[in-house]
Amino acid sequence: MKNLDSVFAAYLIGWGAYFVFYLTIAKRTANLRAELDRIKNSLPHAK
Amino acid sequence: MSKRIILAAVAFLLVVAAAYASFFIAPTERTMGLIQRIFYFHVSSAWAGFTAFFLCFLGNLMYVWKREQKYDWLGVSGAEVGLAFTTVVLITGPIWAHPVWGIWWTWDARLTSTFVLWLLYVSYLLLRTLVDEPDRRALLSSLFGIFAFIDVPLVFGAIRWWRTQHPQPVIMGGQGSGLEPTMKAVFFFSAFAMHVFMAFLIVERYSLEKMHTEADLLARELEAQ
Amino acid sequence: MSLFSNTAVLLNKELRTEFRSRELLTTTVVFILVVLILFSFAISPTSEESREFGPGLLWLAILFAASLMLQPCFLREQGNDTLSSLRLAVGDPFSIFLAKLIANTLFLLVTEILMLPLFAIFYNIPIFPELHYLLLVLFLGSLGISVAGTALSAISAQARMRELLLPLLLLPLLTPVLVVSATVSVSLLDRQPVVQWKGIAFLAVFDLVFLTALWLFGEYLLEE
Repeated sequence: MKNLDSVFAAYLIGWGAYFVFYLTIAKRTANLRAELDRIKNSLPHAK
Repeated sequence: MSKRIILAAVAFLLVVAAAYASFFIAPTERTMGLIQRIFYFHVSSAWAGFTAFFLCFLGNLMYVWKREQKYDWLGVSGAEVGLAFTTVVLITGPIWAHPVWGIWWTWDARLTSTFVLWLLYVSYLLLRTLVDEPDRRALLSSLFGIFAFIDVPLVFGAIRWWRTQHPQPVIMGGQGSGLEPTMKAVFFFSAFAMHVFMAFLIVERYSLEKMHTEADLLARELEAQ
Repeated sequence: MSLFSNTAVLLNKELRTEFRSRELLTTTVVFILVVLILFSFAISPTSEESREFGPGLLWLAILFAASLMLQPCFLREQGNDTLSSLRLAVGDPFSIFLAKLIANTLFLLVTEILMLPLFAIFYNIPIFPELHYLLLVLFLGSLGISVAGTALSAISAQARMRELLLPLLLLPLLTPVLVVSATVSVSLLDRQPVVQWKGIAFLAVFDLVFLTALWLFGEYLLEE
């Protein structure tokens, strides 16, 4: 079972990277949605 | 909203299935042993990254032609997602190389070309941060994106030719040359799963960019009052 | 007016602007010289190694010099907004690019030819045996650098941090030129010279591809 740790390392680091990437997108989306709601509420009701 | 959740769920399931297949269904390779299993993840990521860059290229062409913002959203999404996948390729390559060759980097033709590809799209994203006006940013980055993408086959070709002058260790051996049928099936399934996952990431990034543009528009309306 | 005559007139303007002050040529020559000397300090090559590494270092120096030399290409049109006048004057914006890239190729070639004797002396590499092929490679490589560089300098001129941006955009794009030119040059300057026709053909293809791209997309690069 030699090199098993390398295989695990590869999959873990790889999927970790993808996960972090997805998290940054999700976080920015959530922040932006909050911001968007804030702006929509500040606009006059005609909008 | 629900379509995106379905895509997310499907992507997640496929990816888990692919990982399972890579570890438990694919047979162990004779010469390299266990370490070869990185191949399914490494090469699938490379293919998916490349498709993402191709989508960026399509977005770039369409933007220059039609000048509609949605094509720029596709461009930046393709570039960022492609870069994420390419980064993973560049990380898993050395992780494979180290136990096999004892060195982290081998100037292997494909890995080196992938590194240049990575640099090109980092430059694409950097260019975008240096242009403030949205339409100009879209146009300039689309034009650079087009030049970068047509450069890619030239990069891969040149480095491959150069490598035959200066032979180096090859990552994963002659890729695809000695793949057994089961291995081939697992690989293509992994590649498919990665592509679905890539599509999911692009959809998410695209929605973010679309929302960002809407927010900017609204913010400007707010300022106008 | 035809593409040819427009280009000829603009090329004349580019050349005369440069030869009035010659600042671009002199600074580029000195820059390459400095880089070549610094390389030898950094790696202190023996005579044998010089033959192997020298040509590659020469091409690297040319690339660095070009990425600086190409900065003013479109920047100097911004001062008095001469670019708009140029665009009005010519029907086809490609002639503007053609004139600039021919001028840039010439400037690079002149710089390289001036540098060659010094390069031969410092790195102990006889250049006369295959000089004609060497000049061919220098021409094809410099043309590739100019085509890509002229296009990208039109882009970077419209962004912030343009001095840093141009090399950042240009150098990764030009890796094929560097790799192939250096390799072909090394075989040409070897003790038993070999002409790598595949490499030379590759450089020609690179030049053609980017010339075509510039012809197709040039007008958008100059949009207001």
